[in-house]
Amino acid sequence: MSFFGFDPGPKNRGHPSQGLGFGTAPDPFASISQKREIGQDDDDESIDFDDTYDGLGDQLEEADDDFNDDTFGGGESATKPVGKDFDFYGSTSQVSNAINEEAIQHNRQQPASKITAAPSSPPKQASKPFKTGYEAYKNPSYIPELQVDASLWGTGPPKPSNDYGAQQSQQGGYGAGPSQQRSSVGAPSKKMMSLEEVEAAMRAQPKKPSPIPAPQQQPQAPSPFGMLQMQQQAPMITRAPQQQDPIPYSHAMPQQNIQGQQVVPPPDFSSGQIRIQQRPAQQPSHHKHRSSQIMQAELPTQASPTPQTAAPPQILQRGQNMPHQASEAHVSPQPRQILQNPNRHSGQLAPRPNEPPVPVQMQQRGPLPGQNGPQGPMQIIHHPSMIMNLPEEERNLYLEAEAKRAKRNHKILLLSKGNGLMTPQDKNFITRIQLQQLMTATGNVNEPDPDASLSEDFYYQVYNQIENRPRQNPQQPLSNFAQTYLFRTGGRQGGIGRRYRGGDSHMQRMEQQVQRAVEAAKAKPKNKQLVIEGSLGKISFSNAKTPKPLLNIKRHDSTDLGNRQSKKPQAALSTTDRKAILKNIEAVYSTLMKMEDHDRRQRPPPTAESDPLAIQYAIDWEQTFRDLNQKLWTDLKVTEPIMEESAILHPFITFLSYPKGKKAMPRIFNHIDENQRLTILTMVIVNLDVLDVIRLAQSQPQSPHSPSIAHEQIDLFLQAVIPSLFSYVTEAPLNIVIGMLGLVIERVNLNVVARTRVGLEILTMILSRAAIIKALDAPEDDIWDQWLTVYDRFFDMVEPFLGDIFFTSVNAGQDQYVWQFLAASGSGANPEQQQRLVLAVKDRVMETLQQSKTLPPEMASQRRGNVNLFMQAIGLDVDLLDG
Amino acid sequence: MLFFSFFKTLVDHEVTVELKNDISIKGTLKSVDQFLNIKLDDIQVVEELKYPHLSSVKNVFIRGSVVRYVHLPGAAVDTALLEDATRREAASQASKPR
Repeated sequence: MSFFGFDPGPKNRGHPSQGLGFGTAPDPFASISQKREIGQDDDDESIDFDDTYDGLGDQLEEADDDFNDDTFGGGESATKPVGKDFDFYGSTSQVSNAINEEAIQHNRQQPASKITAAPSSPPKQASKPFKTGYEAYKNPSYIPELQVDASLWGTGPPKPSNDYGAQQSQQGGYGAGPSQQRSSVGAPSKKMMSLEEVEAAMRAQPKKPSPIPAPQQQPQAPSPFGMLQMQQQAPMITRAPQQQDPIPYSHAMPQQNIQGQQVVPPPDFSSGQIRIQQRPAQQPSHHKHRSSQIMQAELPTQASPTPQTAAPPQILQRGQNMPHQASEAHVSPQPRQILQNPNRHSGQLAPRPNEPPVPVQMQQRGPLPGQNGPQGPMQIIHHPSMIMNLPEEERNLYLEAEAKRAKRNHKILLLSKGNGLMTPQDKNFITRIQLQQLMTATGNVNEPDPDASLSEDFYYQVYNQIENRPRQNPQQPLSNFAQTYLFRTGGRQGGIGRRYRGGDSHMQRMEQQVQRAVEAAKAKPKNKQLVIEGSLGKISFSNAKTPKPLLNIKRHDSTDLGNRQSKKPQAALSTTDRKAILKNIEAVYSTLMKMEDHDRRQRPPPTAESDPLAIQYAIDWEQTFRDLNQKLWTDLKVTEPIMEESAILHPFITFLSYPKGKKAMPRIFNHIDENQRLTILTMVIVNLDVLDVIRLAQSQPQSPHSPSIAHEQIDLFLQAVIPSLFSYVTEAPLNIVIGMLGLVIERVNLNVVARTRVGLEILTMILSRAAIIKALDAPEDDIWDQWLTVYDRFFDMVEPFLGDIFFTSVNAGQDQYVWQFLAASGSGANPEQQQRLVLAVKDRVMETLQQSKTLPPEMASQRRGNVNLFMQAIGLDVDLLDG
Repeated sequence: MLFFSFFKTLVDHEVTVELKNDISIKGTLKSVDQFLNIKLDDIQVVEELKYPHLSSVKNVFIRGSVVRYVHLPGAAVDTALLEDATRREAASQASKPR
């Protein structure tokens, strides 16, 4: 029946009908030893059991067991133990057919009570070659497995082995196994520890004392009834195997095998011998045997998937290793005996026994594909005896290295746990998200509206344009950023990629993908918040552009609206209110900016042939432009009625009194039409004497330097407002110039105006324009006569102040504009008026000339030039005065 | 992004960065990022006697959050443009949904 043709003999005596396959070879001594350990009377029990056995186990329906594996997933658990001794596959495969046959045969013949592992085994063998050695780690129960062993060991009933094991573990450390294993394992099987067992033990955990079959089985077979029960339950227990650890089982199996095989060799070797000796004979053992069979039956059911995988290889190995053991035994008979009787000698000789099993383990481990690369010692030591022969130090080194290697492998395993968790697609996805974040942090590159990106980086963009740096497309820098980033990434990857095949194409794909990702990102409206179902809060995202708000205070729009509505009439009433003015100015500015943006959007005017869309666009543009212009005009409040003698300044004049308002003028002039410009000019002239720049200058007429604030204001006005007005006036026709001067005469206090620079400049502007018109356009006589009339009146009015218009001293040298005014006046004056003009300023002329002689040539010529400007206007020259 | 945009235009200008621990560092602005971290080159601590440990430092990277002031070169600032940029920023902030 047995694979090797041994006659199990005693085994079958009691139950001839229950022929056992090799895989389930019962161990008659195991049960004996167990019971002995527990302290039960084997003989009585076995007899009792036999008598009371009702054969229910035989009646168990066994037919449908074929699918147990499918049902309970036995296949998986079966692979675990397999993984540990795959290295025997080669030899196993040689006899695999026989094994399979036997197993199947056994399965068919087996009565209900004989549930063996064999049936499920054959198919599993195929999987062995694929073992990597890491299976055990993948099994979540791997570590628990070890714990189970420990507990078993700790609770193990057999005292001798226990004690011994403890000693052993202390002394032997990693390699403690051998003696202890032998003693413990040997007990139940009454055979020397086999290589398989050693392997199993080592695999379980090098540092832990090897699990002993005896203790493990112990709880299961306390009494025949218990066993019976188990036997009956066996089929139902099948769930257990998955949870139970394979290792114990693998221990059990070897025993059986050993038994089957080793019955032939002299029993002396086995530790069981001890028991046998204690027992009268093996004869009674068929009861025990029975029990052991039951045990076996039960074991397989518990670990049903495993047996075939575990058993056959072990057997094979046994075949191989037998010689070793034999030789070993011969070589060192002494230790062996000691091992056999751990009770007596274990303590004394503990160190010695360590040696043999270690090599065994090495030997087995070496071939493990997954566990190791070829390592020095590993390769060298092929035989247990080799390590035996090694000196102590080397052995220790070897063991150390072994432990280190195991540790390392384990670490690698832990690290590689996540390998392959993410598919390339997953990684791409993550990359996209990251890039998306990057893009949003720097602004949306592909924003449909270029202005939007411009607004993000407005200052920089425009500043650079103003500075005349190489002009960039408004969106350029931002997209540049993205490109730069991509390029850099690509470069880095390319460096690596060159080593690998297809690295470049990968890079390209990456780039394209990022492009797509960015496009997708902009196409999809971004969710600022994520609400996960079932969560209590919201998760809000943030990036550099829109930081996550720490405070989220909601504005109540309704009340806000109410406030605004109530405020509006107020603001309208008190337009002079500083705040309201400032708001007006801001409104003007925002409108201005809109208009400027709008200007950028202007397209070349459509021709007759352009398509309707373009025409429509032009029309729309025009419409928007008009709307904005109107809004700007109302914001300026230029057309507000002028309230004469009112204490309240006109809103527009107030507007001009703020630097911001002054600065806006040039821009406003760009966006308004001629009439509006004229209106503004008129408004300025009408209110000339109340302009802040004139009033401020007036307050300290004689001080060489106006107070800094006034000074700044005047400068600003001259820089911002005057040029705008001037640009208009230089184009103005004569009738308008006449009207201007008329307004000045009628509405303005010339005494005030003439003493200020701004006033003089405006007057100069008007007068000079008239002179230019006269010179270039040769206006009609009647209009020119009108001008002369107005001018005469003006001259008469201004003449009294001519002596005072130089309100700075000669030394200050800041009188150029005065000379300009005088020149402008003189150029339009008739000879009689010129005479009066000269008389009025004669002293100043002489002073200036006198002073210029004391000055450096450069400044002197400038002064003389100023004076000469006036002198030439009235047909004279400073050189004449010098002469 | 206004300040980021603004400081970008000051690159290669000399600025003085006053830190919140009262150290003032004068140097050439080399770069600035969106967090207004600042990189200065050829630096010189304003009160060198007080902070001798910085006398041998040639360039610094300053985390934006520790900057109290940056003293600007007035000539390099276009105030009108800055005003407008500020208005734009304010407008875009206001238009953003809260």
